[in-house]
Parts: sequence; structure tokens; C-alpha cells
Amino acid sequence: MAYQLDNRPLDLRERFYFPEVIRGIGTLAGHFLKNLFFSRDANPDILARPRGFARSDNVTLQYPEEKAPYPPGYRGLHRLVPRQDGSPRCVACYMCATACPAQCIYIEAGEVAGDPIEKYPVKFVIDELRCVVCGFCVEACPKDAIRMDTGEHAPPSLERSGQLQDIKALLRGPAVSYLSDPWLRRPSPSIPADQLAAMKATARPYHADADDEYASTPGFSVRALAAEARERAARAGAK
Amino acid sequence: MAEEKKPEAPAAAPRPPGPPAPPPPRNPGMVTATIDGREVVVKPGTSVIEAATRMGIEIPYYCWHKRLSVAANCRQCLVEMSNSPGGKLQPSCQAPLAEGVVVKTDTPRVKDQQRANLEFLLLNHPVDCAICDQAGECKLQDYYVKYDGRPSRLDIPKNVKGKRVALGPTVTLDQERCILCTRCVRFMSEVARNPQLGVANRGTRSEITAFPGQPLDDRYAGNVVDLCPVGALTSTDFRFSGRVWFMSSARSICTGCSRGCNVSLDYLGESAYRLRPRENDQVNQEWMCDQGRLTYKPFNAGRVLKARLGRGAEAQPAARDAAVAAAASALAAAGPGGVAVLLSPLASLEDLLAACAVASEGLGVKEVHVGGRPDGWHDQFLKQADENPNRKGVELAARAFGLAVRPFAELVAAAGSGAVRAVWAVGAELPAAAGALTSLPVLVVQASNGGALADAATVLLPASPAAEADGTYVNFEGRAQRFEAAWYPRGEARPHADLAAALGRALGLETPWRGNREVWLALSPKLAGAAGADFKWDSLPSAGRRRGFVPLAAGTVDGRLAGQRDRLVPEGLEPPERGGVTPSSW
Repeated sequence: MAYQLDNRPLDLRERFYFPEVIRGIGTLAGHFLKNLFFSRDANPDILARPRGFARSDNVTLQYPEEKAPYPPGYRGLHRLVPRQDGSPRCVACYMCATACPAQCIYIEAGEVAGDPIEKYPVKFVIDELRCVVCGFCVEACPKDAIRMDTGEHAPPSLERSGQLQDIKALLRGPAVSYLSDPWLRRPSPSIPADQLAAMKATARPYHADADDEYASTPGFSVRALAAEARERAARAGAK
Repeated sequence: MAEEKKPEAPAAAPRPPGPPAPPPPRNPGMVTATIDGREVVVKPGTSVIEAATRMGIEIPYYCWHKRLSVAANCRQCLVEMSNSPGGKLQPSCQAPLAEGVVVKTDTPRVKDQQRANLEFLLLNHPVDCAICDQAGECKLQDYYVKYDGRPSRLDIPKNVKGKRVALGPTVTLDQERCILCTRCVRFMSEVARNPQLGVANRGTRSEITAFPGQPLDDRYAGNVVDLCPVGALTSTDFRFSGRVWFMSSARSICTGCSRGCNVSLDYLGESAYRLRPRENDQVNQEWMCDQGRLTYKPFNAGRVLKARLGRGAEAQPAARDAAVAAAASALAAAGPGGVAVLLSPLASLEDLLAACAVASEGLGVKEVHVGGRPDGWHDQFLKQADENPNRKGVELAARAFGLAVRPFAELVAAAGSGAVRAVWAVGAELPAAAGALTSLPVLVVQASNGGALADAATVLLPASPAAEADGTYVNFEGRAQRFEAAWYPRGEARPHADLAAALGRALGLETPWRGNREVWLALSPKLAGAAGADFKWDSLPSAGRRRGFVPLAAGTVDGRLAGQRDRLVPEGLEPPERGGVTPSSW
């Protein structure tokens, strides 16, 4: 906020000088005492903090104790999206590795018996040092198996190898499943019937049936991610 | 029956007017027609699709294959022809061109048919490209992008058929992806002459199967994988091992037998992933046997990558130069009489020429012995009993230097009797047990892969297999065929010719050639044209002259982690200059 200064001659009080000095020291001491003895508000939404008497006016965000929330659609650390049984949705199609301009994704495919998806990643390693956080992998994924919706950035590590994230580190977050997923569409010996019914009940609808086509498209969608972020925030607020 | 009276034919009903008489040929003995407004003169009987392909007009097709009979069942190649009854669209693979016929392949009607037919073909297709090995070389993908590009309108569940049906030891079938073009069925009955595949059931339940209790175990069954235009038939060996769009392809020669089938060696980094037959009408048409398809495995596994001095308990790793020097002094110490040379018919002609030059001039031997793999099965189609790609090359190279060619058994006998005290083996493949060779005081072996001879070597030098060097194989007919390097030699390995040249220099010879091209330029005059008058070594450019060979093109994605990605030129090899056109040689 800029203050407009008008270049007028000093009045009598100002010409005496000391009253103004004392007034300035009073303002300073007021701020000092307020910020020292009254609790700071940690709400990262600075504009929403209450102001006024007995409220701190300090707007500095004390990172890392206080963190500003990232906006919806922020591309954070990758995660491999799990299926309901905890295995990754990924089928090792190499689309993300193909799209990746930084060549930071390494995949080795294997075969899985008794599962309609046939193919799964034996190794899935992302070199977070090499990653340029472009999100192309998320966009390229035909199975909604990789996302960047963790809202975290790469944690620091003392060694380069600490930035190589394998399946163990990547596979986390809430499970996602669609009715169009092959393991829900096909009978599979590895999934009992009652469990299959339960899985189908929690699965998302076919894309064609969903009313918002964009939001239900597997893969990267700002609207879908924003909606999920809002949901998460609402849940956190309810608690 | 004969006495029964036939009902009398209605008398003299006026015949309906037939088609107009064909016009007289404008080019006698040939057929002149028009395709898309361009006139074409072809031999009688030429189908529309063949004529159009030759004119550069693309007509989409699945079931047609130039080496198989015409089935015309995929209906993707229908075109408008002016002589078709009722103006119906005609299958261009089946319809022969006739005199004066006007063919149109790009009318809205034809395009609509192509799109509609693709929609039918894709109706029950599972679209599981994500787990399909054919993705990237699939005609359904290509044609969908080119001719259809619309979402499916199917609103009922798709047909469920067998996934990953193991038809036999080499082929895996996905019946859902199949479009029933029957190329595989026709190949098995017409080319392999072993009808092991058929179409079972009717209509939308039709599926390709082998017969109950009879696996698809023909020795040429792997060709159906190449023939399959979609992802229905996939190779069990290649299954899920990589994505085809990451791979590069080197024009190579199969090392499985002396037929020398032309192959594409698909590789990524320093690993070979598969062999596919390459077209050559004189040698293998476009087929190869299943055993030959697996001959890429020794390029990857069991390699000798470091030089070694001493055998058994005294074995210790050594630098390659030191090992070469040790080999030279040991061979020289054994004297001209006590040294024998064992040549492998898996080495290229250039390797053998260099080895023969060093053997005759540096070691003073008068004869060479031939190793190589033992004989295997053979048939009347492609496979030869001799499972070595270059036995003729050994004979040519030996004759060029006036060396006699002796069988392996004589070498074992001579080593056993003590007549031979030192052996220099170029290539470690043996047709029989090594016998007394393993206890020779001096056994210098240049081996690309481990084995009995490599284990017994007193000096082991790491050699490159065919995937790592440019070279020539001479097949059983005497046909010299060039192959090209896929990647730079792994580790310390170098082509046999380089090792032989280094050995020659250590023996005090003038062996200035570096790289197989220089070996060829220097030593091929001694062949006196035995490789064939029309053989040109530069028909395939050598590694340094191939665009994009070194380094990997910027932005190439190959799925490897950082640090493993850049193709480094091994020490001692000339680094490529900017532009990649240096005659780098090694």
C-alpha cells in the first residue's frame, strides 16, 4: 500500500521535533509488544487472518513450520496409483517413458499369471533429479496409473541415489479403480466373486456413463485434480 | 437317372444383354488400365493392389500378402472399379486389372468403406495396446489413425475370447485381438507345409486355434508372428521384453546356419532383443526358422568382456594390450613348427582374412584348422545342417593365403601327440570335445562367449560377435553377404580382426588396418574375386558412416537410467567427429 505524501511545510508540533520522535517510538513499541506477546496467526491464507486489537500483524510465512498450500493442479512428487488390492495400476506400457522429455523413467516389464492385465512393472524407477516436472507422464498414461497429485516436492537427500524412487516409494495414496478396468470386467481366478462385487461397488463409472467426461478421463485433468483437492480440503476441515 | 427326361428348357428366351465386349488391348500382350487417373500397363493377371503399390498409391490391406494365396477376407482394400458388376466395390487384392478398366481408390465411397470396415474390425478388439507387444508396428493402430479416427459406437460388452493362449513353444495367441485375416493359417499350409493352424467356430465367435492336443510346434512357426498384422500372434521369447519404438535395427545375417538368412537385428543400447527376417528373394524370401530367431542370445549373455592370463587357479585378469603381448611372445616362443591355428566359421570374412594374414606371415603356419559348431538338423526349405554361417569364408580366406584347411579332429590328435605345442584359436566354438587342447601349454583364445576352450585358455582375449562389427559372411552357396554392426563392442571386446592385427603388430608384422573396412580394402585383392563379382563391401556403410549410429540422437528415449544412456566410444576407438561421418574404425 503506497502512501501519498504531500509536500507541505511542517507545523508547529513537528517543528518541535521531540513529540514526533516519542510518537514514533510509541508506534514502534506498540508493534513490537503486539508481535512479541500476542500469538501469531499461522493461517497460511494471509488475507484471511483476523486483524485488529491484540492480533499480530506479522504476515511473514514461517517456512518450514508454516507452509502455503499449493494450488490445485500443482505437479508434485510422482506416485504410482494403487489398485484396490494394493498392486500398482501400471501395466508397464512405457508410455510415460516414451513421453518423458528428460528420460527419467526406467521400466522393466514382467508377466503376471492369473490376472487379466498380464503385464506389470517389475521395476519402475523415476530419477527425481532428472525429472523436469512437466507432467507429460501423467498426461500420457492410458491407465491413470501415475499421478503428480501428492502436493509434495522432492525431499532433500544427501546422495544422488536417494532421488531414485522405485515402486516401493512411488506406490502410495488412495486406490483408484474404474469399472472399465480389465480386472473388474473379466473373471479372474485371483479375485473371489464377493471381493470382486465389493471392488465394483467402489469403482468409478465407465467414462461413457459419467456426466463430466473431462473429470473422469483417466490421466491428467486439472479439473479432476482440483475437485479432488477440494474434497481433501473439505475432509480435513470436517475433522 | 440317365433315362429320366429333363424338363425342356424354355425355348429361345432372349438372353439378357451381357457386359460389353472388352476393348482390344492397347499394348498387345499387356493390360492397360487407369488407377486414380494415371495410366498403368501391367502383365495380365496383375491384381489392382500390386499395380497400385508399384505406382506409389497406397491401398490399405490386412489379409493380402504377396507370398501367400489371396483370401480377400479382411475387406479393407475395396476400391471402385468400372467393370464391377452392379457397381459394387471390389477387393483390390483379388480383382485383376482388365483392359480399359478405370480404378478409383480415393473417392468418398471408398473412404467411407475403409472407415466403416475398420470400425467393424475394431468392434470387438480389446484395444489393450498398453500391454500389446505389437503396439508401434500394428496395422490396426496405423490404419485407425489414417483411415478412421473415430470413437467406438459399441454400447454392449465386447466379445470375450482367449487371452495369452500358448499355441506352441514360440508363439502366444491373443484371440481377442485377432481380425481373422488367416495369414497365419495360409502360411502354415502353403509355406511351412504343415497345416497346424485353423479357424474354429463361426461368425463373431471365430477364432484361430491349433488343433486339440497338437501344439504349433513347426520349426518355422515363428514367421506367423511377423505375418500377423495385429497383435494376435506374438513371440513368446520377445514377450514384454521391450517396446519396439525404442529399438533400432541393424541389417544383419543370421548366424544359425550356413544359409545366411538376412535378418534385422533389433537392438537397444548394447543388447539385442530379437531377430526378424529381412527380405531377400535369393536367400530366404522373408522367412527364417525358429532356431535362427534365438541366435541373438549369445550376443547378450555369457560374453567374455575382459582379457585373462593363465588358466585355472593361476587365472588373473589382464589389460588387453598386455594379454596380446603375452600371447605374441608365447606363440613366437613355440616356434613355427609347434603352432597351430584354429579358425571359427562364426567369424566374419574380414576377421578370417586378418587372422590368415597374421597366421601365415607372422606365425609361419602352412595350414589352419576349422572349428565351429557341430552339425544340426536340416530340411529342404531353409535350414542347412552346417550350423556355422561362414564355413565357405574360412575356405576362401585360407586359400587366399595359400593355407591348407584341416578338420578339427586332426588338431586334437596333433595336440594329443605333442606335435602342436601352442594353438591360436580365433573364435572358441568347437564341433567336438576339446580333448588335449585344454592342457596345451600355450592356448591363445579369442572368444566372444565363454565355453570349454575359453575356460582352458592360457591367454583369453575378448572378441566381438557379429552384432558388434561390420563384416561379411559367405553362405553355403558362396554368396557373400554383408552385415552391419549394431552397437560398439562391449567392454574390452574387439573384433577378431582387430585382435589379430594387434597380435600381428606384436609379432613384428605390418598390420596397419584398423577396422574391418580397412581389412577388406587391404586384403580382399588376395581373394581374387572369390567373394563374387557383384559383391560390394560398401553396399552397407560401415559403422562410422552410418547416420545416427553414434551417439544416440538427441532426445532419443530408450528407457535407460541416467549414466547408462550415453553410448560411449570405448577407449582406443576413434571418437566420432561432429556430424558422425568419420570413418571410425575398430
